Amino acid sequence: MNLEKVAFAFFIVLALTLNFGFFVGEIDNPAHHGAIELGAALAVSLIATVLKFGDRSQLGAVMLATSLVADLQLLLAAVTWGYAANVSVDGVTAQVMAHVVSLSGGALLANLVSVTLLVAETVSVRR
Amino acid sequence: MNDILWLTMRRMRLPLIVLLIVYFGSVFLVASVPGVDSQGRPVDVGFLEAAYFVTIMSTTIGFGEIPEPFTAQQRMLVLAIILPNVVAWLYSIGAILGLFLDPEFRSVLRRSRFARRVRWLGEPFFIVIGCGNTGSLVVRGLLRRGLQAVILEKDPETVHRLSLRDEFAHVPALACDTTRRENLELSGLESADCRGVIVTTNDDHANLRIAISVKLLRPELPVLARSEMQQTSDNMKSFGTDTVIDPYAIFAERLYLALTSPIKYLVQDWLISVEGTELREPLHPPIGRWIVCGAGRFGARMLERFADSGLPFTVVDVRESRLKGYDRAVVGRGTEAHTLQEAGIEDAVGIVAGTGDDIDNLSIIMTARELNSRLFVVARQEQHANDALFDAAEGDLVAKRSHIVARRILAIATTPLLQTFLQHLITQDEDFAERTHALLKSVLHGRAPSMWLVDLRGDMADGVRLAREDGIRLQLSHLIHNTRSTEGESLSCVCLVLERGAQRVFLPEGTHDLQEGDRLLFSGRGQARREMFWGLTDANALVGYATGKYLPRGAIWRWIWRRQQRD
Repeated sequence: MNLEKVAFAFFIVLALTLNFGFFVGEIDNPAHHGAIELGAALAVSLIATVLKFGDRSQLGAVMLATSLVADLQLLLAAVTWGYAANVSVDGVTAQVMAHVVSLSGGALLANLVSVTLLVAETVSVRR
Repeated sequence: MNDILWLTMRRMRLPLIVLLIVYFGSVFLVASVPGVDSQGRPVDVGFLEAAYFVTIMSTTIGFGEIPEPFTAQQRMLVLAIILPNVVAWLYSIGAILGLFLDPEFRSVLRRSRFARRVRWLGEPFFIVIGCGNTGSLVVRGLLRRGLQAVILEKDPETVHRLSLRDEFAHVPALACDTTRRENLELSGLESADCRGVIVTTNDDHANLRIAISVKLLRPELPVLARSEMQQTSDNMKSFGTDTVIDPYAIFAERLYLALTSPIKYLVQDWLISVEGTELREPLHPPIGRWIVCGAGRFGARMLERFADSGLPFTVVDVRESRLKGYDRAVVGRGTEAHTLQEAGIEDAVGIVAGTGDDIDNLSIIMTARELNSRLFVVARQEQHANDALFDAAEGDLVAKRSHIVARRILAIATTPLLQTFLQHLITQDEDFAERTHALLKSVLHGRAPSMWLVDLRGDMADGVRLAREDGIRLQLSHLIHNTRSTEGESLSCVCLVLERGAQRVFLPEGTHDLQEGDRLLFSGRGQARREMFWGLTDANALVGYATGKYLPRGAIWRWIWRRQQRD
């Protein structure tokens, strides 16, 4: 029972689940997508990325790459939302919401790939 | 570079995670507690404002409370989160600084920077191992001749001092264990630009190890190694070290040459002096009884040579065991007057101050001069730092250990044919030496010459090929002709050797013909060298001078010209 491995898997799966939770719902309805969940998804995604530092194997490199992709997308989603809410004249319209949710959808796919790789790595380990 | 990136990333994992958790936690907390505006209505703190506030707070910048002055509830929250935030930031920054200050990390950084500089040199270079007195003289000589150097040295202090000196600022240097193979490979041993390895550390055994390693890794690469003990020299020669330089043996040979043939000694000295320095005056060590103080590594070799030349001598040494086998020997240091008098200094013609200690040698010189002011003084200088003292003592011949090794290395490494010429000079009779002396004297005007090699291959051979096509015979005097003058003025240089395949002609005449593939060694003023290479690049000028007519440039005109010649 390796605490480090538990933490590693925990954060990666948590990133995926939070991301999925945010994504689910009508794509342009602001009522279906909570800002806190987006924030939490971004935070956990960043933590998961940092956890993947330092692994020089091929698998480690690909996992780091997918994590970075997810971070990028979520960050863009947060910035778009923040900009629309605070700076733009129209506020958060349905169109803007659709942008935000589709960006988070992209991040979801990246997180999915990351988790798949994690599963593959775990399965290939011989006990 | 890659290594360093991965190292940094690993070290920064924990600090970054702590930072992220604390930061995002604070943002959520601040965003969840509502504020009040000036009328008392509740105002929601949005994510943007929460993020802004937390960032500015935790990096200790602290602009102010936004969007409205905080309620008491908000302020309690801020109190709670301010310390963890600031500590998390300081911890992260501290971790990065700690990483950069870590000696292991810095060593990795230095090595990778060194390897990169070596890879990007792009010019022919020599690897110089051991950069003490001798090594730095060698590097300076190499740089002056337009060659690059890569330095490996054991002592980090020395490398640091080197990096501060202007002339060595661009030379890649690394402080490491010089006998290890991976350090040798890091310094470009496998590179195609590496022209040779010069080993000049203080330790004979280390020199031996390095020479063996290099010969095993790259057998065809020239290795020039310093050795001060006969045993090491023999060992090195046995596995094919190209040149073994023993400063004491070299000096002893030169003194022997000076005793037996001053003119050969003079010519040799002129040819290996540092370019531009004043030429030495002829040296005439007297024939008679000599006193040799110090019978160690240096003294023993001098005594062998004195015995060879048949001169009588008296040995003075502190250790009685070293005095065995010599007819006339005195036990003592030689620094006291009575020891020298016992050795018979009043009727001696010369003295060799050859102990291992510079100060003792200086003392011997001064004492000896007081007793007999007409003595020919030969001194041994070990430490480079004592240059000024030995100059002031005005010995007739000073054996500077570093200088001897450095000059010999530079001569062999940079102008290979020179060694051949010098060996020839020594084996020939006095006439040859006299002829060389006369030729050199007429062109050098009192300053030591620069040596250069003309290799008639590739680009340089354009003129020769052109001449052969048109049936014109090019000879040496055409090459030495001064292209700038219209009369038949020659450049101030002398051709010492002409090598064609396996044949060698020493001091070739001006009428000697030139062919493609010839290698010529010239000795002369720096100006002459520039002029000669300038002349070589212009094929037409060379051929034109030979024929007296100037060939037209351009293929078409030349074809027309050839048609005209035939008719």
